[in-house]
Amino acid sequence: MEFDKKSLLKLGKLARISISEDKLNNLSKDLNSILEFVDQLKEIKTDQVDPTSNSLNQKLEVRDDKVDNKNSTEDVLENAPEKEMDFFVVPKVIE
Amino acid sequence: MKDSHTLKSLAVLLENNKISSKEVTSEYLKNIESGKELNCYNTISQEKALIDAEKSDERRKSQNLRSKYDGIPIGIKDLFCTKGVTTTASSRILSNFIPNYESTVTQKCGEAGLISLGKLNCDEFAMGSTNKTSFFGSVKNPWKSLNSDNELVPGGSSGGSAAAVSGDLCVASLGTDTGGSIRQPASFTGTVGLKPSYGRVSRWGIIAFASSLDQAGPITKTVEDAAILLDIISGHDEKDSTSSVNPKENYYENLNPDIKGMKIGIPKEFRSDKLPASTQKSWDECADLLKTNGAEILDISLPHTMSALPAYYIIAPAEASSNLARYDGVRYGLRVKGNDLIDMYEKTRSEGFGDEVKRRILIGTFVLSSGYYDAYYIKAQKIRSLIKSDYVEAFKKVDAILTPSTPSTAFEIANEPSDPVQNYLNDIFTVPVNLAGLPGISIPFANDENNLPIGLQLITNSFEEQKLLNVARNIEETINYSETPEKWWFK
Repeated sequence: MEFDKKSLLKLGKLARISISEDKLNNLSKDLNSILEFVDQLKEIKTDQVDPTSNSLNQKLEVRDDKVDNKNSTEDVLENAPEKEMDFFVVPKVIE
Repeated sequence: MKDSHTLKSLAVLLENNKISSKEVTSEYLKNIESGKELNCYNTISQEKALIDAEKSDERRKSQNLRSKYDGIPIGIKDLFCTKGVTTTASSRILSNFIPNYESTVTQKCGEAGLISLGKLNCDEFAMGSTNKTSFFGSVKNPWKSLNSDNELVPGGSSGGSAAAVSGDLCVASLGTDTGGSIRQPASFTGTVGLKPSYGRVSRWGIIAFASSLDQAGPITKTVEDAAILLDIISGHDEKDSTSSVNPKENYYENLNPDIKGMKIGIPKEFRSDKLPASTQKSWDECADLLKTNGAEILDISLPHTMSALPAYYIIAPAEASSNLARYDGVRYGLRVKGNDLIDMYEKTRSEGFGDEVKRRILIGTFVLSSGYYDAYYIKAQKIRSLIKSDYVEAFKKVDAILTPSTPSTAFEIANEPSDPVQNYLNDIFTVPVNLAGLPGISIPFANDENNLPIGLQLITNSFEEQKLLNVARNIEETINYSETPEKWWFK
């Protein structure tokens, strides 16, 4: 696998980051260098190994299903770039 | 400033009414002003700090103290959410963000009466090892090489936290460590940096980078201060489901530098021809010192050490790409106008994030994408299991492991490599500890031939912070490292 212009633009779409034409060359160079570096793991045999997603051996506790008053609408909307009444405002989605 | 304070020494001065919180807080605010060139602080809470200090002095008068350390001013990495105080993660995308809630760690500091002087500069979203990725510019290391006036990196990502302690712009500070971000800058600045076990300190209210690796911890001048601050910030928090229910200990009270009979491991995989001779010398001398003080030194093997860094650069970006998906210009932070919703997302994220953050989001998106998930992400998680079992085996034989903290001492800001992978190598000795969820501490041991601090790292098994601090204290007590940078920024 190697990143070229096309695969990079697709990745940008998936990550919702627009990549300008003038940055494509350097970015693909950087990402290919990282990919080459992590590809060394292919040498290591891991067929019999289970993956670790978290190092803590602890059962995740479930909290009681009770209503509390934390996070008021006002608090949640406080930092919104654009809001109206009790809503976040975004550009029109439906034509 | 006349004296270089510690949490311990200031607690005594305050108790004996030799100094008031307002006096000491003003003193540090003055230091911050004189040290502006170091670029340690993103936000200075001048007014609030002085009001809080006055309140602390009143509590002292009425014998209503929150703790022994009530009234001592500290600095906070700009990754901890602080109610009413701008919290940016050193990113453009959050440059206008004022949280309306307080992180558990800073809440606990407030409950102990500690005063916040402000928010410390760091790499953007804690991604970097030199502090160069900050939207607010590089932090400068208070240390300079002999015979050169060139500015040095403070390390990263908690570069502001480490430089501020080293340069007396706060008494102690809070940092976070995902792959070495407390220990590496501590090593570069001659300070003590402690990364606790995963789960020892609550992550609630800390801006997330890689949730399975992130931990908050102290950067201080001494091991004793690290124990004091860990006492304050650690413990179970119901708001963080990954915070441990293991009871915390009284780390400072139980600090015992006796290491007689302890076994200390030296892992052969950390040895390298590329290690500077002075770092190798310090490492050897430290092992000899521990032996003289009654410990047994054993050669051990951690066979998968060299796979840790590549595994980290799959796992950390994968988690980051997911965590940073929330910055979309809708609920908080920067919004850049677009033709439609998708265009708004893409423009906001493109203009709001810096280059290193974008690289990691893209790599993370790639390793999690359909067709590559098993080959990269699951593969890296399997390597993580191998690394963890290396340490499980090692700790059957030894109490603690001794390594260098970093493969070099601080280097010039201008000499930072442009290739990202070259930069990643800074964390080669610290990253395995995060993957295994262990506690690690970097302590200054000596200065190299250029008079720059060399840090050594100690590692113990999960939740053995007490043992970690005890061994670190033994070394500190024996060598009595007391080098301080010349304050060139005072003109």
